[in-house]
Amino acid sequence: MSDLTLGELDRDGALREAVEQVSGETRATFLGKAVVGGAALLGALAAPAAGKAAAASDVAILNYALTLEYLQSAFYTETERLGAVGGELRRVPRQLGAVERAHVTALKDALGRAAVKRPAFNFRGVTEDNAKFLKTAVAFEDLGAAAYKAQAARIKSPALLAAAISIHSVEARHAAWMRFLAGVTPAAAAFDEGKPVSEVRAIVASTHFVVARPKRKSRKNPKYTG
Amino acid sequence: MAKTRQKTLARAVALGLVASVAVASAALISSRSTPSSYAGQVAPVLPAAPEPALKVPAPVRLRTSIGFAQWASVRHAVSVRASARSEARVVTRLASTTPEGTSNIVLVLGRAMDRAGRLWVRVRLPVLPNGSAGWVPRQALGVYGVVSTHLVIDLEGLTATLLRDERPILRAPIGVGRPEWPTPKGEFYVRNMLTRYKSPFYGPLAFGTSARSSALTDWPGGGFIGIHGTNAPELLPGRVSHGCIRLRNQDILKLGRLMPVGTPVTIR
Repeated sequence: MSDLTLGELDRDGALREAVEQVSGETRATFLGKAVVGGAALLGALAAPAAGKAAAASDVAILNYALTLEYLQSAFYTETERLGAVGGELRRVPRQLGAVERAHVTALKDALGRAAVKRPAFNFRGVTEDNAKFLKTAVAFEDLGAAAYKAQAARIKSPALLAAAISIHSVEARHAAWMRFLAGVTPAAAAFDEGKPVSEVRAIVASTHFVVARPKRKSRKNPKYTG
Repeated sequence: MAKTRQKTLARAVALGLVASVAVASAALISSRSTPSSYAGQVAPVLPAAPEPALKVPAPVRLRTSIGFAQWASVRHAVSVRASARSEARVVTRLASTTPEGTSNIVLVLGRAMDRAGRLWVRVRLPVLPNGSAGWVPRQALGVYGVVSTHLVIDLEGLTATLLRDERPILRAPIGVGRPEWPTPKGEFYVRNMLTRYKSPFYGPLAFGTSARSSALTDWPGGGFIGIHGTNAPELLPGRVSHGCIRLRNQDILKLGRLMPVGTPVTIR
């Protein structure tokens, strides 16, 4: 179970771009669409205890984390709303969704105008099927914990690091719970490995849950009967 | 001889254990009496942990809406079946886009798994006869969206009432179809929203719905019923249209702010 892939995750490249930013292979367009960039962008990040604006790399890491939290919170929220997942899993989306939404709120508050926008998601039925839901939940929580872990050492602000660790341990608890429900040893190894960016990139490349937002508005002349 | 050696060894081990316990006890007592030292060494003083930069709020419970409805975008063109089986009769085909160039969306009514474990979704269809529904594979659908709004069109009272969580938040007089081009009754949904177009006849904003005129089937675009503004507000309320629902421009603009695409529409 530990080698689960997410299946489908990132179609329009939102997560890939966040990954690229974190890995230092910055795309000029990353953050540019959602925010203004430069000093104004950094100043928009809530100042840590030291009262200074966060480092650019910290902003990128937080946005990377936010993108993953968007993914997790949307997954559990949709599952809870649809109500198709039941049995012993019934309380999982309610409980985990509430926590992941809190993570999103915290990260968005911290990033302010620098926060990346919430992507659209097409979960392709995994929120409507017990077995697929659980498999995806294990993969999401494992990925979340591993992604936070891999970036922790790169966070420059001690205050942001403290916050990231407080989220990371919750993700690890979630991962253990989901693994237990899936019949997989929650913690088989003595030491956890973080997922390096290249590995996250590989997972992202194989996925399609993040999709383009449906176009609901148009400027075309109406042809309704009038 | 061997027994004597064993006894000597046992005694030595016992003495060693007693000595270790004595030393440990002394160290423990010492540490209790002088908290800052341990066995003569100064304990390290750790700096205070930094305050986390993020204020993590309490878990955010999902708002459970009474009037919750769900829509889905059509990901690719697909045949709609009469039941949740791939060999079931084809009811119609759904395109991925509307004639207005927006994503085609459908209202989700239910779901079922077929014998092969394939997930099917029952959807309301924008086709004649009005009120049609059918089944599509989940894989043909894309993003799910939810709304907590519901528009009720009263053809007798000539009013439109927008509900949110089943409570009215907007009521406005309307124009509806003339007797020869009646506005169809039934359950529908809002498919898209058009703005900044060049036709003053439709006012500043127009919603497309899944309802279709049974009388004007050869109308360009398929005879869809819209909900839109007007350049003749003096005619409202009244039975003045080709089937569309007309609102005064200030009312359609309010509706544009309050009613998301995907909202169910009841015309009665």
